[in-house]
Amino acid sequence: MLPFAVLLIGATLLAQLFQHSLPAFDALHGARATLFPVLLAYGSLALPYPLVLALAFCAGLLWDLLNLQVITSTATLLKTPSVEVVVGTSVVLYGLLGTLMHGLRPLFLRGHWEIHVLLSGLCTIAILLAEFLVLNLKRGGFDFPPVMWWRILAPGVIALFLAPVVYLILTLIAYLLKYPVRDNPREHTGGLQRGI
Amino acid sequence: MTRAGLIALAVFIIATGLLFSLNPRTQQRLSAAVLQAVAPVFSTGSSVKTRVQAYTTGVKSLAELEDDNKRLKTENNELRVTNQMLRDLGDENANLRRALTYKQRSNFKLIPARVIARESATWWSQVQIDRGEEDGIESDMPVLTESGLVGKTTTVSRRTAYVLLVADENCKVAVSIEGTRDQGILSGTRLSTGAQPELLIRFLPKTVEARPGQKVFSSGVSGGVFPSGLVLGTVLEEAKVRELDAQVRVNPAVDMSRLENLFVVVPNKEGS
Repeated sequence: MLPFAVLLIGATLLAQLFQHSLPAFDALHGARATLFPVLLAYGSLALPYPLVLALAFCAGLLWDLLNLQVITSTATLLKTPSVEVVVGTSVVLYGLLGTLMHGLRPLFLRGHWEIHVLLSGLCTIAILLAEFLVLNLKRGGFDFPPVMWWRILAPGVIALFLAPVVYLILTLIAYLLKYPVRDNPREHTGGLQRGI
Repeated sequence: MTRAGLIALAVFIIATGLLFSLNPRTQQRLSAAVLQAVAPVFSTGSSVKTRVQAYTTGVKSLAELEDDNKRLKTENNELRVTNQMLRDLGDENANLRRALTYKQRSNFKLIPARVIARESATWWSQVQIDRGEEDGIESDMPVLTESGLVGKTTTVSRRTAYVLLVADENCKVAVSIEGTRDQGILSGTRLSTGAQPELLIRFLPKTVEARPGQKVFSSGVSGGVFPSGLVLGTVLEEAKVRELDAQVRVNPAVDMSRLENLFVVVPNKEGS
Protein backbone atom coordinates (compact mmCIF):
# COMPACT_ATOMS: atom_id res chain seq x y z
CA MET A 1 0.00 0.00 0.00
CA LEU A 2 2.66 2.50 1.05
CA PRO A 3 4.80 2.24 -2.12
CA PHE A 4 1.73 2.89 -4.26
CA ALA A 5 0.65 5.82 -2.08
CA VAL A 6 4.15 7.34 -2.25
CA LEU A 7 4.18 6.86 -6.01
CA LEU A 8 0.77 8.49 -6.35
CA ILE A 9 1.76 11.46 -4.18
CA GLY A 10 4.97 11.82 -6.22
CA ALA A 11 3.03 11.64 -9.49
CA THR A 12 0.60 14.32 -8.26
CA LEU A 13 3.47 16.65 -7.35
CA LEU A 14 5.18 15.99 -10.69
CA ALA A 15 1.91 16.74 -12.48
CA GLN A 16 1.84 20.13 -10.75
CA LEU A 17 5.38 20.86 -11.95
CA PHE A 18 4.55 19.63 -15.46
CA GLN A 19 1.61 22.05 -15.41
CA HIS A 20 4.14 24.89 -15.78
CA SER A 21 5.08 23.66 -19.26
CA LEU A 22 1.53 23.54 -20.54
CA PRO A 23 0.30 26.62 -22.36
CA ALA A 24 -3.25 27.93 -22.19
CA PHE A 25 -5.55 27.02 -25.09
CA ASP A 26 -6.44 30.18 -26.99
CA ALA A 27 -9.28 28.38 -28.75
CA LEU A 28 -10.79 27.63 -25.32
CA HIS A 29 -10.58 31.25 -24.11
CA GLY A 30 -7.40 30.68 -22.12
CA ALA A 31 -8.51 27.43 -20.44
CA ARG A 32 -5.80 24.98 -19.37
CA ALA A 33 -5.51 21.23 -19.14
CA THR A 34 -4.99 20.22 -15.51
CA LEU A 35 -3.76 16.74 -14.73
CA PHE A 36 -3.31 16.76 -10.97
CA PRO A 37 -7.03 16.89 -10.01
CA VAL A 38 -7.44 13.63 -11.96
CA LEU A 39 -4.68 12.08 -9.83
CA LEU A 40 -6.18 13.58 -6.68
CA ALA A 41 -9.54 12.01 -7.54
CA TYR A 42 -7.88 8.64 -8.15
CA GLY A 43 -6.00 8.85 -4.85
CA SER A 44 -9.17 9.78 -2.96
CA LEU A 45 -10.91 6.66 -4.30
CA ALA A 46 -8.04 4.21 -4.20
CA LEU A 47 -6.24 5.05 -0.94
CA PRO A 48 -7.31 4.66 2.68
CA TYR A 49 -8.48 7.89 4.35
CA PRO A 50 -5.23 8.80 6.21
CA LEU A 51 -3.32 8.61 2.93
CA VAL A 52 -6.02 10.65 1.14
CA LEU A 53 -5.35 13.42 3.66
CA ALA A 54 -1.59 13.05 3.17
CA LEU A 55 -2.06 13.36 -0.59
CA ALA A 56 -4.31 16.41 -0.18
CA PHE A 57 -1.83 18.04 2.20
CA CYS A 58 1.21 17.53 -0.06
CA ALA A 59 -0.61 18.57 -3.25
CA GLY A 60 -2.22 21.62 -1.63
CA LEU A 61 0.98 22.78 0.00
CA LEU A 62 3.05 22.53 -3.19
CA TRP A 63 0.34 24.22 -5.27
CA ASP A 64 0.08 27.13 -2.84
CA LEU A 65 3.86 27.58 -2.64
CA LEU A 66 4.31 27.36 -6.41
CA ASN A 67 1.58 29.91 -7.03
CA LEU A 68 2.12 32.23 -4.09
CA GLN A 69 1.36 35.77 -5.21
CA VAL A 70 3.10 38.50 -3.33
CA ILE A 71 1.21 41.75 -3.73
CA THR A 72 3.41 44.27 -1.95
CA SER A 73 7.02 43.94 -1.01
CA THR A 74 9.77 45.52 1.00
CA ALA A 75 10.38 48.13 -1.67
CA THR A 76 6.95 49.67 -1.20
CA LEU A 77 5.56 51.83 1.55
CA LEU A 78 4.12 49.00 3.63
CA LYS A 79 7.59 47.44 4.14
CA THR A 80 6.10 43.97 4.67
CA PRO A 81 5.06 41.55 1.94
CA SER A 82 1.48 40.38 1.83
CA VAL A 83 0.25 37.34 -0.02
CA GLU A 84 -3.00 37.07 -1.92
CA VAL A 85 -3.96 33.46 -1.21
CA VAL A 86 -2.57 32.26 2.11
CA VAL A 87 -0.53 29.04 2.08
CA GLY A 88 -2.87 26.31 3.32
CA THR A 89 -5.96 27.41 1.38
CA SER A 90 -5.53 24.69 -1.25
CA VAL A 91 -4.71 22.17 1.50
CA VAL A 92 -8.15 22.77 3.04
CA LEU A 93 -9.83 22.69 -0.39
CA TYR A 94 -8.16 19.45 -1.48
CA GLY A 95 -8.74 17.91 1.96
CA LEU A 96 -12.47 18.66 1.73
CA LEU A 97 -12.73 17.38 -1.84
CA GLY A 98 -10.68 14.28 -0.95
CA THR A 99 -12.95 13.53 2.00
CA LEU A 100 -16.10 13.92 -0.10
CA MET A 101 -14.74 11.78 -2.94
CA HIS A 102 -13.50 9.14 -0.50
CA GLY A 103 -17.14 8.59 0.46
CA LEU A 104 -17.68 6.94 -2.93
CA ARG A 105 -14.80 4.51 -2.44
CA PRO A 106 -17.05 1.45 -1.91
CA LEU A 107 -18.48 1.93 -5.41
CA PHE A 108 -15.00 2.32 -6.85
CA LEU A 109 -13.78 -0.84 -5.12
CA ARG A 110 -16.67 -2.74 -6.69
CA GLY A 111 -15.33 -1.89 -10.13
CA HIS A 112 -17.19 1.28 -11.09
CA TRP A 113 -14.31 2.98 -12.91
CA GLU A 114 -16.72 5.61 -14.26
CA ILE A 115 -16.92 7.06 -10.73
CA HIS A 116 -13.30 8.16 -11.14
CA VAL A 117 -14.03 9.75 -14.52
CA LEU A 118 -16.99 11.68 -13.17
CA LEU A 119 -15.17 12.80 -10.02
CA SER A 120 -12.09 13.88 -12.03
CA GLY A 121 -14.23 16.33 -13.98
CA LEU A 122 -16.11 17.55 -10.92
CA CYS A 123 -12.93 17.85 -8.85
CA THR A 124 -11.24 19.96 -11.56
CA ILE A 125 -14.26 22.24 -11.84
CA ALA A 126 -14.59 22.55 -8.05
CA ILE A 127 -10.91 23.48 -7.63
CA LEU A 128 -10.99 26.16 -10.36
CA LEU A 129 -14.31 27.58 -9.15
CA ALA A 130 -13.09 27.73 -5.56
CA GLU A 131 -9.85 29.46 -6.65
CA PHE A 132 -11.86 32.05 -8.61
CA LEU A 133 -14.19 32.68 -5.68
CA VAL A 134 -11.25 33.15 -3.30
CA LEU A 135 -9.68 35.55 -5.80
CA ASN A 136 -12.90 37.58 -6.02
CA LEU A 137 -13.19 37.61 -2.27
CA LYS A 138 -9.65 38.96 -1.91
CA ARG A 139 -9.79 41.49 -4.77
CA GLY A 140 -13.42 42.52 -4.36
CA GLY A 141 -16.26 42.59 -6.87
CA PHE A 142 -17.91 39.35 -7.93
CA ASP A 143 -18.10 39.07 -11.68
CA PHE A 144 -18.90 35.94 -13.68
CA PRO A 145 -18.37 36.65 -17.39
CA PRO A 146 -18.70 33.84 -19.98
CA VAL A 147 -14.88 33.59 -20.29
CA MET A 148 -14.71 32.58 -16.64
CA TRP A 149 -17.08 29.64 -17.26
CA TRP A 150 -14.99 28.56 -20.25
CA ARG A 151 -11.88 28.49 -18.07
CA ILE A 152 -13.62 26.45 -15.40
CA LEU A 153 -15.73 24.04 -17.43
CA ALA A 154 -13.31 23.31 -20.30
CA PRO A 155 -10.58 21.88 -17.99
CA GLY A 156 -13.32 19.79 -16.37
CA VAL A 157 -14.25 18.33 -19.76
CA ILE A 158 -10.57 17.74 -20.60
CA ALA A 159 -10.22 15.93 -17.27
CA LEU A 160 -13.12 13.64 -18.22
CA PHE A 161 -11.15 12.54 -21.28
CA LEU A 162 -7.85 12.19 -19.41
CA ALA A 163 -9.35 10.21 -16.53
CA PRO A 164 -9.75 6.78 -18.21
CA VAL A 165 -6.11 6.85 -19.39
CA VAL A 166 -4.90 7.83 -15.92
CA TYR A 167 -7.14 5.17 -14.39
CA LEU A 168 -5.78 2.47 -16.65
CA ILE A 169 -2.12 3.39 -16.02
CA LEU A 170 -2.48 3.76 -12.24
CA THR A 171 -4.52 0.59 -11.86
CA LEU A 172 -1.89 -1.36 -13.76
CA ILE A 173 0.86 0.15 -11.57
CA ALA A 174 -1.17 -0.76 -8.46
CA TYR A 175 -1.44 -4.31 -9.79
CA LEU A 176 2.32 -4.45 -10.35
CA LEU A 177 2.93 -3.13 -6.83
CA LYS A 178 0.45 -5.71 -5.51
CA TYR A 179 -1.87 -3.06 -4.06
CA PRO A 180 -5.52 -4.13 -4.25
CA VAL A 181 -7.37 -1.04 -5.44
CA ARG A 182 -10.30 -3.31 -6.36
CA ASP A 183 -12.20 -5.91 -4.38
CA ASN A 184 -11.08 -8.57 -6.84
CA PRO A 185 -7.40 -7.93 -7.49
CA ARG A 186 -7.32 -10.45 -10.34
CA GLU A 187 -9.59 -8.21 -12.41
CA HIS A 188 -7.73 -4.99 -12.00
CA THR A 189 -8.67 -3.54 -15.36
CA GLY A 190 -11.81 -5.54 -15.93
CA GLY A 191 -14.20 -2.65 -15.32
CA LEU A 192 -12.51 -0.41 -17.80
CA GLN A 193 -12.29 -3.16 -20.40
CA ARG A 194 -16.01 -3.86 -19.94
CA GLY A 195 -16.76 -0.16 -20.33
CA ILE A 196 -14.68 0.21 -23.47
CA MET B 1 -14.57 6.51 10.61
CA THR B 2 -11.72 4.31 11.84
CA ARG B 3 -9.41 5.29 14.68
CA ALA B 4 -6.53 5.78 12.22
CA GLY B 5 -8.75 8.02 10.12
CA LEU B 6 -9.65 10.18 13.11
CA ILE B 7 -6.00 10.53 14.14
CA ALA B 8 -5.05 11.41 10.55
CA LEU B 9 -7.81 14.02 10.43
CA ALA B 10 -6.60 15.56 13.70
CA VAL B 11 -3.02 15.70 12.42
CA PHE B 12 -4.25 17.19 9.13
CA ILE B 13 -6.21 19.93 10.91
CA ILE B 14 -3.29 20.82 13.20
CA ALA B 15 -0.79 20.88 10.32
CA THR B 16 -3.11 23.05 8.22
CA GLY B 17 -3.66 25.37 11.17
CA LEU B 18 0.11 25.74 11.47
CA LEU B 19 0.31 26.67 7.79
CA PHE B 20 -2.33 29.36 8.24
CA SER B 21 -0.40 30.81 11.17
CA LEU B 22 2.72 31.44 9.05
CA ASN B 23 3.42 35.12 8.48
CA PRO B 24 3.67 36.40 4.88
CA ARG B 25 7.44 36.72 5.01
CA THR B 26 7.84 33.08 6.07
CA GLN B 27 5.41 32.04 3.34
CA GLN B 28 7.49 33.96 0.81
CA ARG B 29 10.71 32.33 2.09
CA LEU B 30 9.12 28.87 1.87
CA SER B 31 7.93 29.65 -1.64
CA ALA B 32 11.45 30.79 -2.58
CA ALA B 33 12.89 27.55 -1.17
CA VAL B 34 10.47 25.45 -3.22
CA LEU B 35 11.21 27.60 -6.25
CA GLN B 36 14.92 26.94 -5.77
CA ALA B 37 14.35 23.20 -5.31
CA VAL B 38 12.28 22.77 -8.46
CA ALA B 39 14.35 25.15 -10.60
CA PRO B 40 16.55 22.36 -12.05
CA VAL B 41 13.41 20.52 -13.23
CA PHE B 42 12.07 23.65 -14.94
CA SER B 43 15.47 24.56 -16.31
CA THR B 44 16.00 21.12 -17.85
CA GLY B 45 12.48 21.12 -19.29
CA SER B 46 13.03 24.56 -20.77
CA SER B 47 16.40 23.55 -22.33
CA VAL B 48 14.90 20.41 -23.87
CA LYS B 49 12.01 22.45 -25.29
CA THR B 50 14.41 25.04 -26.74
CA ARG B 51 16.55 22.32 -28.34
CA VAL B 52 13.56 20.57 -29.84
CA GLN B 53 12.30 23.90 -31.20
CA ALA B 54 15.74 24.72 -32.58
CA TYR B 55 15.93 21.31 -34.22
CA THR B 56 12.49 21.50 -35.80
CA THR B 57 12.69 25.10 -36.97
CA GLY B 58 16.38 25.82 -37.18
CA VAL B 59 17.67 23.55 -39.96
CA LYS B 60 18.93 25.99 -42.61
CA SER B 61 20.95 25.68 -45.77
CA LEU B 62 24.49 27.09 -46.05
CA ALA B 63 23.29 29.89 -48.36
CA GLU B 64 20.65 30.90 -45.84
CA LEU B 65 23.20 30.88 -43.03
CA GLU B 66 25.54 33.03 -45.11
CA ASP B 67 22.74 35.54 -45.78
CA ASP B 68 21.85 35.57 -42.08
CA ASN B 69 25.50 36.13 -41.19
CA LYS B 70 25.84 39.07 -43.60
CA ARG B 71 22.62 40.65 -42.36
CA LEU B 72 23.60 40.23 -38.71
CA LYS B 73 27.07 41.69 -39.32
CA THR B 74 25.55 44.77 -40.94
CA GLU B 75 23.02 45.08 -38.12
CA ASN B 76 25.78 44.67 -35.55
CA ASN B 77 27.80 47.49 -37.11
CA GLU B 78 24.76 49.75 -37.21
CA LEU B 79 24.00 49.02 -33.57
CA ARG B 80 27.62 49.68 -32.58
CA VAL B 81 27.49 53.10 -34.20
CA THR B 82 24.11 53.89 -32.63
CA ASN B 83 25.34 52.67 -29.26
CA GLN B 84 28.41 54.88 -29.45
CA MET B 85 26.27 57.88 -30.40
CA LEU B 86 23.92 57.20 -27.49
CA ARG B 87 26.86 56.81 -25.13
CA ASP B 88 28.21 60.18 -26.23
CA LEU B 89 24.78 61.72 -25.75
CA GLY B 90 24.52 60.08 -22.32
CA ASP B 91 27.89 61.51 -21.27
CA GLU B 92 26.93 64.91 -22.59
CA ASN B 93 23.60 64.73 -20.77
CA ALA B 94 25.30 63.73 -17.52
CA ASN B 95 27.80 66.60 -17.86
CA LEU B 96 25.04 69.09 -18.51
CA ARG B 97 23.04 67.79 -15.56
CA ARG B 98 26.08 68.12 -13.32
CA ALA B 99 26.65 71.63 -14.64
CA LEU B 100 23.07 72.53 -13.80
CA THR B 101 23.43 70.78 -10.38
CA TYR B 102 20.48 68.54 -11.19
CA LYS B 103 20.06 65.52 -9.00
CA GLN B 104 21.81 62.73 -10.93
CA ARG B 105 19.37 60.18 -12.31
CA SER B 106 19.75 56.61 -11.09
CA ASN B 107 21.84 54.40 -13.32
CA PHE B 108 20.55 50.99 -14.21
CA LYS B 109 22.02 47.88 -15.74
CA LEU B 110 20.14 45.15 -17.54
CA ILE B 111 20.58 41.55 -16.50
CA PRO B 112 19.52 39.09 -19.21
CA ALA B 113 17.29 36.26 -18.03
CA ARG B 114 15.55 33.29 -19.61
CA VAL B 115 12.01 32.14 -18.89
CA ILE B 116 12.19 28.60 -17.51
CA ALA B 117 8.54 28.10 -16.53
CA ARG B 118 5.27 29.74 -17.39
CA GLU B 119 2.26 30.35 -15.23
CA SER B 120 0.52 27.12 -14.32
CA ALA B 121 -2.60 28.48 -12.68
CA THR B 122 -5.62 29.71 -14.56
CA TRP B 123 -6.13 32.93 -12.62
CA TRP B 124 -2.60 34.28 -12.09
CA SER B 125 -0.04 35.59 -14.57
CA GLN B 126 3.55 34.98 -13.65
CA VAL B 127 6.62 33.34 -15.16
CA GLN B 128 9.79 31.98 -13.62
CA ILE B 129 13.22 33.19 -14.75
CA ASP B 130 16.69 31.66 -14.34
CA ARG B 131 18.17 34.59 -12.37
CA GLY B 132 18.00 35.17 -8.63
CA GLU B 133 19.70 36.65 -5.59
CA GLU B 134 23.12 35.48 -6.78
CA ASP B 135 22.74 37.72 -9.84
CA GLY B 136 21.72 40.74 -7.78
CA ILE B 137 17.98 40.31 -8.33
CA GLU B 138 15.65 41.44 -5.57
CA SER B 139 11.88 41.60 -5.35
CA ASP B 140 10.11 44.53 -7.06
CA MET B 141 12.57 45.02 -9.91
CA PRO B 142 11.19 45.89 -13.35
CA VAL B 143 11.47 43.27 -16.08
CA LEU B 144 11.34 44.09 -19.78
CA THR B 145 12.03 42.92 -23.31
CA GLU B 146 13.16 44.95 -26.30
CA SER B 147 9.44 45.54 -27.04
CA GLY B 148 8.49 46.96 -23.67
CA LEU B 149 7.69 46.36 -20.01
CA VAL B 150 6.85 42.80 -18.99
CA GLY B 151 6.31 43.04 -15.23
CA LYS B 152 8.21 42.98 -11.96
CA THR B 153 9.99 40.41 -9.84
CA THR B 154 8.19 39.10 -6.76
CA THR B 155 9.52 36.02 -4.97
CA VAL B 156 13.26 35.64 -5.47
CA SER B 157 15.32 32.57 -4.59
CA ARG B 158 19.09 32.08 -4.96
CA ARG B 159 19.08 31.29 -8.67
CA THR B 160 15.51 31.89 -9.84
CA ALA B 161 12.75 34.45 -9.47
CA TYR B 162 9.10 34.88 -10.23
CA VAL B 163 8.01 37.70 -12.51
CA LEU B 164 4.50 39.05 -12.05
CA LEU B 165 3.33 40.05 -15.52
CA VAL B 166 1.65 43.36 -16.29
CA ALA B 167 -1.28 41.28 -17.53
CA ASP B 168 -2.08 40.40 -13.92
CA GLU B 169 -4.64 42.47 -12.06
CA ASN B 170 -2.21 42.78 -9.14
CA CYS B 171 0.58 44.39 -11.19
CA LYS B 172 -0.24 48.08 -11.26
CA VAL B 173 1.83 50.61 -13.23
CA ALA B 174 1.51 54.40 -13.25
CA VAL B 175 1.28 55.37 -16.92
CA SER B 176 0.80 58.30 -19.24
CA ILE B 177 -0.54 58.36 -22.78
CA GLU B 178 1.65 59.65 -25.60
CA GLY B 179 0.86 63.26 -26.51
CA THR B 180 -1.15 63.95 -23.35
CA ARG B 181 -0.26 64.89 -19.79
CA ASP B 182 -2.93 62.63 -18.37
CA GLN B 183 -1.87 59.88 -16.03
CA GLY B 184 -3.61 56.73 -14.87
CA ILE B 185 -2.99 53.31 -13.40
CA LEU B 186 -2.55 50.39 -15.80
CA SER B 187 -3.14 46.77 -14.90
CA GLY B 188 -4.52 43.59 -16.38
CA THR B 189 -8.12 42.61 -15.84
CA ARG B 190 -9.23 39.69 -13.68
CA LEU B 191 -9.60 37.44 -16.69
CA SER B 192 -6.79 38.86 -18.80
CA THR B 193 -4.48 35.95 -18.06
CA GLY B 194 -4.73 34.38 -21.53
CA ALA B 195 -2.05 34.27 -24.19
CA GLN B 196 -2.66 37.81 -25.47
CA PRO B 197 -4.29 39.68 -22.61
CA GLU B 198 -5.92 43.07 -22.57
CA LEU B 199 -4.70 45.82 -20.31
CA LEU B 200 -6.80 48.61 -18.84
CA ILE B 201 -5.84 52.12 -17.72
CA ARG B 202 -8.05 53.26 -14.86
CA PHE B 203 -8.35 56.55 -12.96
CA LEU B 204 -7.75 58.76 -16.00
CA PRO B 205 -9.35 62.23 -15.96
CA LYS B 206 -12.73 62.30 -17.70
CA THR B 207 -11.36 64.86 -20.17
CA VAL B 208 -8.65 62.50 -21.46
CA GLU B 209 -8.19 62.51 -25.24
CA ALA B 210 -6.91 59.07 -26.05
CA ARG B 211 -6.91 57.94 -29.66
CA PRO B 212 -6.35 54.41 -30.96
CA GLY B 213 -2.69 53.80 -31.78
CA GLN B 214 -1.25 56.21 -29.21
CA LYS B 215 1.57 54.69 -27.18
CA VAL B 216 1.35 54.16 -23.42
CA PHE B 217 4.47 54.72 -21.28
CA SER B 218 5.27 54.20 -17.63
CA SER B 219 5.31 57.57 -15.92
CA GLY B 220 7.79 56.69 -13.16
CA VAL B 221 6.17 57.73 -9.91
CA SER B 222 8.69 58.83 -7.28
CA GLY B 223 9.60 55.89 -5.04
CA GLY B 224 7.78 53.46 -7.31
CA VAL B 225 9.01 50.26 -8.92
CA PHE B 226 9.00 51.21 -12.60
CA PRO B 227 11.21 53.92 -14.13
CA SER B 228 9.61 56.34 -16.55
CA GLY B 229 9.52 55.94 -20.32
CA LEU B 230 9.01 52.18 -20.65
CA VAL B 231 6.53 51.22 -23.37
CA LEU B 232 3.54 49.20 -22.21
CA GLY B 233 1.36 49.10 -25.27
CA THR B 234 -0.91 51.08 -27.57
CA VAL B 235 -4.38 52.50 -27.03
CA LEU B 236 -7.01 50.19 -28.54
CA GLU B 237 -10.03 52.50 -28.59
CA GLU B 238 -11.23 55.87 -27.33
CA ALA B 239 -11.68 56.34 -23.61
CA LYS B 240 -14.77 55.05 -21.88
CA VAL B 241 -15.93 57.80 -19.52
CA ARG B 242 -17.45 56.59 -16.26
CA GLU B 243 -18.97 58.43 -13.33
CA LEU B 244 -15.71 59.37 -11.62
CA ASP B 245 -12.97 58.57 -14.11
CA ALA B 246 -12.21 57.40 -17.64
CA GLN B 247 -10.85 54.03 -18.72
CA VAL B 248 -8.80 53.12 -21.77
CA ARG B 249 -8.19 49.63 -23.16
CA VAL B 250 -4.60 48.93 -24.15
CA ASN B 251 -3.05 46.33 -26.42
CA PRO B 252 0.17 45.10 -24.73
CA ALA B 253 3.46 45.87 -26.49
CA VAL B 254 4.91 42.51 -25.49
CA ASP B 255 3.53 39.19 -26.68
CA MET B 256 3.03 37.47 -23.32
CA SER B 257 2.63 34.04 -24.88
CA ARG B 258 6.12 34.09 -26.41
CA LEU B 259 8.23 35.36 -23.54
CA GLU B 260 11.67 33.78 -23.70
CA ASN B 261 14.50 36.22 -23.14
CA LEU B 262 13.92 39.03 -20.69
CA PHE B 263 15.98 41.73 -18.98
CA VAL B 264 15.79 42.59 -15.32
CA VAL B 265 16.47 46.25 -14.56
CA VAL B 266 18.90 46.36 -11.64
CA PRO B 267 20.20 49.57 -10.04
CA ASN B 268 23.86 49.99 -10.91
CA LYS B 269 25.56 50.23 -7.53
CA GLU B 270 28.91 51.07 -9.13
CA GLY B 271 27.30 54.19 -10.56
CA SER B 272 28.82 53.68 -13.99
